[in-house]
Amino acid sequence: MAIIEATSIRKSFFDAATGRETVILDNISISATENDFLILLGPSGSGKSTFLNIIAGLTPHNGAPGQVRVHGQPVLGPNPKLIAYMFQDSVLLPWRTVIKNIEFGLEAQPLSKEQRRKRALKYLDMVGLRDFADYYPRQLSGGMAQRVALCRALALETDIILMDEPFGALDEQSRIILGDELVQIWRKIRRTFVFVTHSLTEAVYLGERIAVFTARPGKIKTEIKNDLCRPRAIGSPEFNRMVDTLWAHLKEESITALNREKAGEDRIALPKE
Amino acid sequence: MPRISPAVARAAIVLCILAVWEITTHLSSASRILIAPPSEIFWQVVNILATTSNVPKFYPNAWITIQEFIGAFVITAALGVALGFLFASSKLIGDAFEPILLVLYAIPKVILYPLFVLMLGIGMVPKIIFGITVGIFVVIFNTSAAVRQIDPDYVKLAYSLGYGRLMTFFKIILPAAAPTILAGLRLGFGYTVIGVMAAELLVVTDGLGSLIDWASFNYYTPQLYGLIFITLTIGVAGNSLFSVLERRWVR
Repeated sequence: MAIIEATSIRKSFFDAATGRETVILDNISISATENDFLILLGPSGSGKSTFLNIIAGLTPHNGAPGQVRVHGQPVLGPNPKLIAYMFQDSVLLPWRTVIKNIEFGLEAQPLSKEQRRKRALKYLDMVGLRDFADYYPRQLSGGMAQRVALCRALALETDIILMDEPFGALDEQSRIILGDELVQIWRKIRRTFVFVTHSLTEAVYLGERIAVFTARPGKIKTEIKNDLCRPRAIGSPEFNRMVDTLWAHLKEESITALNREKAGEDRIALPKE
Repeated sequence: MPRISPAVARAAIVLCILAVWEITTHLSSASRILIAPPSEIFWQVVNILATTSNVPKFYPNAWITIQEFIGAFVITAALGVALGFLFASSKLIGDAFEPILLVLYAIPKVILYPLFVLMLGIGMVPKIIFGITVGIFVVIFNTSAAVRQIDPDYVKLAYSLGYGRLMTFFKIILPAAAPTILAGLRLGFGYTVIGVMAAELLVVTDGLGSLIDWASFNYYTPQLYGLIFITLTIGVAGNSLFSVLERRWVR
């Protein structure tokens, strides 16, 4: 049964400078089942992050007939009981310690202090950072900060976790290690992950299903099932074959996106919400 | 080389300056009406505080000035922070009124003081209001800048977690802006003190300013230095209060 169901999502806005309508997302339909690991892969500016924000209820779309449903209910705004959202940057509050940052995620919910603390510690254990509970964010490396951010998302105990290029700002080695940890956590807690990336390796390494976006206006070009058995070995023949398949779909879109950037045409400023 | 702590180095340089000051005043032929040696200033301060000097009504006058400092600063802080938040809360309000504020900020406020006296008389009120007009701008500007500089991702995070407006204000906006607001309040306090003292010296009625004027007018040079020293100390004490607050709140 589909836990997330997005149908005919369209997102556009009127650009006052050019007097034209700029279409960001064009008629996107996609669904995710329980315990899915769905990757949204696309060239930069393809609207995949915008789409993730729409699923999260953080950004409005053009509305009917497009619709996002989670557990059958239409998404009208953020719902931290159903959906956790993880940013590209860790977005840890510098005036709070690690554990207080994780508890911050739960402070809008009717939980007692002890319940919050217990939950925060449980997930700190899961990402292996219990010893850093009383550290401040500035004392953490980029990879550790992102683990804390993951922990904050996990502690919400939602069925769905949306991740917007969460390892995009990390070096390659940390990226692989964190990806590995993420897969282990995913297998352990059996929840639905939706993960935005523009890295082919990351997509093949992590995803169960990979949705490839076109260059703007974003459409879904193809959806590929990734049934390589885990643990997956980066650089193995079947891994490379999968990367090649994805690249065959993505190459043309990346070139379009790149040419657009060169022409300076891609300097669209999204209006503030 | 032996390690010297900054505190020791600081104390050493201050003592050096005092020693040179003391020796040169004794050796030079400069008139004692112009300059007093540190030792004499020290005894004057002790005498003034013990009310054994000829300084008239020291404590009543000092109390007036302290009340003015506190009154002017409390209003500066409350009004300045509130206006700062107001200007940052909406782009329209900010864009519409901040240019006016910048013009007012650039005016040398001293030229307004005769007007205040004309309208408000010569009690504590015009001095307090003058202190506010000198000190409030930096508080407003720092507060609105502090709020505008907040990482929009913080607000988005709170939104995604189900925080309402009020909770976002108290748990994100306020703590994120606190260090810059506090820096503005520290500067604002300094300016407020300057404003109040300037007002006391412009139209002399009472307060420490009137005593400084009295000492200067009568060529009581050591008393003058002593009174200046006491006034400075009050300002420095207020300033160090902010250091304590900053250490506690700002990480």
